[in-house]
Amino acid sequence: MEFFKANIIPSEVLVQTIAFLVVFWILKRFAWKPILSSLEARRTKIEEEFSRIENAKKEIESLKKDYLSHLQNIEEEGRAKIQAAIEEGHHIAREIQNNARQASQERLEKTKGDIQLEIEKARIALRHEIADLALRVSEKIINEEMTEEKHQDKILKIIEEIERNT
Amino acid sequence: MLQNAAQQMTEHAEETSHAAHELPNFITLLYQKFPENPAIHFLHQWENIVFAGLAACLICLVSFLALRQKTKIPSSIQNFVEILVSSIDAFVTGILGEHGRRHIPFLGTIFFYILLMNLSGLIPLMKSPTSAWSTTFAVAMVTMIYIQITGIQEQGIANYLKHMAGSPQNLFGIILIPLMLALNIILEIFAVPFSLSLRLFANISSEDRLIFKFAELNVFFKGLPFLFQIFANLLAIIFSFVQAFVFMLLSTVYLSLVLPHENHEESKTDASQDLKQVVI
Repeated sequence: MEFFKANIIPSEVLVQTIAFLVVFWILKRFAWKPILSSLEARRTKIEEEFSRIENAKKEIESLKKDYLSHLQNIEEEGRAKIQAAIEEGHHIAREIQNNARQASQERLEKTKGDIQLEIEKARIALRHEIADLALRVSEKIINEEMTEEKHQDKILKIIEEIERNT
Repeated sequence: MLQNAAQQMTEHAEETSHAAHELPNFITLLYQKFPENPAIHFLHQWENIVFAGLAACLICLVSFLALRQKTKIPSSIQNFVEILVSSIDAFVTGILGEHGRRHIPFLGTIFFYILLMNLSGLIPLMKSPTSAWSTTFAVAMVTMIYIQITGIQEQGIANYLKHMAGSPQNLFGIILIPLMLALNIILEIFAVPFSLSLRLFANISSEDRLIFKFAELNVFFKGLPFLFQIFANLLAIIFSFVQAFVFMLLSTVYLSLVLPHENHEESKTDASQDLKQVVI
């Protein structure tokens, strides 16, 4: 008991208690609350930032997916358009070829007609030449004056006979 | 030669046995120089309060410096203080759970206040106020009152009284109420401050006495005891931290015992369970 009395001095205990309570109050009011709230605010901010970063990452992933999908669509569309253009090109080429072939055929036909006509003309002219020549020859042979119309009829008959024989 | 030294030591010990068990501090020296000065006499009488006040002022100063230029990205002293506060926050919430966060200011103040009072005895011409039982008893009393008030607030007065009466479930429990009440009052109201204060006081005062004795040996045997004194100082530094930590740890565990179980059941760790068992 003497030991307790010697070491625990009530007045000192009281003053120490008051001193501790004052220190506690001051620190709680001016130090602990601001520091803890600052730490809490920073913790919240870091969490929010991390969450935002995660969201941004997800968004970027989603955008990347969309972008790749768009890119693929564009590539497919491009490929389809190129294919369509090639087919159209082929079609046009075929059409041009057909037209050209048809035009050349027509020109050929027309040229053939022209040639035939020219041949016919030449044949007629030749027939007239021959008739005329034959007339002159026969005139000289028979010394018979003949009218133009008679000559013509005779010559034509002869030619027809010749043709029939050939 | 050794016999002479031992005799001198014995004489010196006899001379000083009633006077000092610790190294002299500046107030003691002033008192020795001016014993008649009433101001110095007053300081000498209240030297534990003076040194406790200095420790408190140092804590307040550090807090002020840390909070003076508070920035979002901490630097220097703010960083240091925030690391300490975060550590205490993690420790307390580890035992009490998130619900225990509101007790951090009290437990943290106890830790830093006791730590600085313990360490102040290692500074030349200073003294550890915790080497006086009055100081540790005062802090332990406040702790006990804080714990009991928290218990009443958290459980409600009826549950608190029921807990103090041993939570009687049947007639046998009701018969045992006076015994359980006395037992709980002794254990929770008297034993807690007694054990907390005596442990801290005994450790710190014995450290100070050890350092004092090695310093005394230095006077007689030059050289070798100095190494012992350095060892004692290192030991004192470690024990100053350990004792401050143990005081805070036990206060936290006592707090966890009075908190309603559902509040900290989810978050308490196995370590806190073990600690409770040790304390019980």
